[in-house]
Amino acid sequence: MTSKIKYCACAAVIALVAMVSCNNDNCMGNSTGIPLAAFYEGDKQISLSDITVYGIGAPNDSAVIRNATASQVYLPLRITEPKCQYVFDYNIDGIENDTITFDYDIIPYFESRECGAMYNFDIKEYSYTQHFIDSIAIPNPSITNSDVVTIKIFM
Amino acid sequence: MKHLATIFCVASLMVALTCATVQAQDQPQRKVTPVKPKTNKTLTPPKGTPEKIINEYLSGDTAQARAQERKDSLAKIYPHYPKLTELSLGLNFGDLLMTAFGQKYTSVDLNATLNMWNRFQPVVVMGLGRAKDTPQDMNFTYSGKLSPYFKLGANYNFLFKNEPRYQLYVGARLGMSAFKYDITNVNINNPYWGEFGNDYEMKGVSSNALWGEFLAGLKVGIAGNWALGWEVKFHGIFKEKKNASGKPWYIPGYGTRNGNWAFGINLYYNIPLNHSHWPVKEQKKKEKK
Repeated sequence: MTSKIKYCACAAVIALVAMVSCNNDNCMGNSTGIPLAAFYEGDKQISLSDITVYGIGAPNDSAVIRNATASQVYLPLRITEPKCQYVFDYNIDGIENDTITFDYDIIPYFESRECGAMYNFDIKEYSYTQHFIDSIAIPNPSITNSDVVTIKIFM
Repeated sequence: MKHLATIFCVASLMVALTCATVQAQDQPQRKVTPVKPKTNKTLTPPKGTPEKIINEYLSGDTAQARAQERKDSLAKIYPHYPKLTELSLGLNFGDLLMTAFGQKYTSVDLNATLNMWNRFQPVVVMGLGRAKDTPQDMNFTYSGKLSPYFKLGANYNFLFKNEPRYQLYVGARLGMSAFKYDITNVNINNPYWGEFGNDYEMKGVSSNALWGEFLAGLKVGIAGNWALGWEVKFHGIFKEKKNASGKPWYIPGYGTRNGNWAFGINLYYNIPLNHSHWPVKEQKKKEKK
């Protein structure tokens, strides 16, 4: 009988350790897929001052950033249409605004219980004007909720 | 001159030997008293020696008797259970129990364990699992449909010298499941573009997974052939189907993909096999006598 009690006590301790060890992961990324664009000069990331970025057709002419200094900017994509355009206004005399156009597939995606359901995007094509932008690189066209730079804009 | 020295040495040696002989003859002669063996002593066998061995000694077959004694002695230290010792049928109800405490998924499985030599124990597990959860402050409902799972593996019982009703073991399992799930009531808003109430559903998403488990467990006999068991598992996914729509939250038989620990509680019914070949404890032997 004593040995039974010992075994049961051991079992209870093991179960307790197991329950304590169960961990809940937190959502480490964004709550949806958003491309993060960063500005580069050569290999070096740079900041642009007094820049305004806004989407064409965004309600109330709202901007993602307005007259701010930024080295990177989130560019949320539309989820009701597979295309959207962003304007980069540098507020520099003699330099016209640049426009970037994205064409993409919208992919419903379940990330995890903690991050939830969202949309990911697969960029099929992109085009841009070259007033101040030299070139754009999108090494990985799959846009997920990972908080990493996905669009490199070279000035 | 050299000859003279040699003669002197030999003469001295002879004188010394003569003196020693004379002295030895002068001492009294040592007495030798032989010890008479006790012929009436009764040689009794050690306590607990079986009658069969005593009879073998008495009949003069000492070699056979000694061999039997050695075998009995080894059996006490190293009890040898038969190859097919026991078959255990178990019901894992750990998840069912946790569902009562608010867990959002459940599974129940039947397992069969063949206890071989009271050490090695191949195990087969078959079960069903399902999940349903609408997390607070989240934008979806996850419904894992009732799906089967299978596990194959083995245990090693450290208490192989003890009775099979008490076991402390470690084991490994290979599990697999093919299942379907729904993601419904999804609501996504895109405030920047003014896109609200974009609902979608993903129904009947099929997936499968292959995983491995290391476990440690206890098994304790509670009454008659019934026993209870507790297991702690450390598991990881080896391979799973890649879907463009994401990864499942719940895998039947594995649990949720958060964390690597799980535990189980089993109710067993043990069916002894070859019970007549099980080693009998000395105490029980005495009780029988």
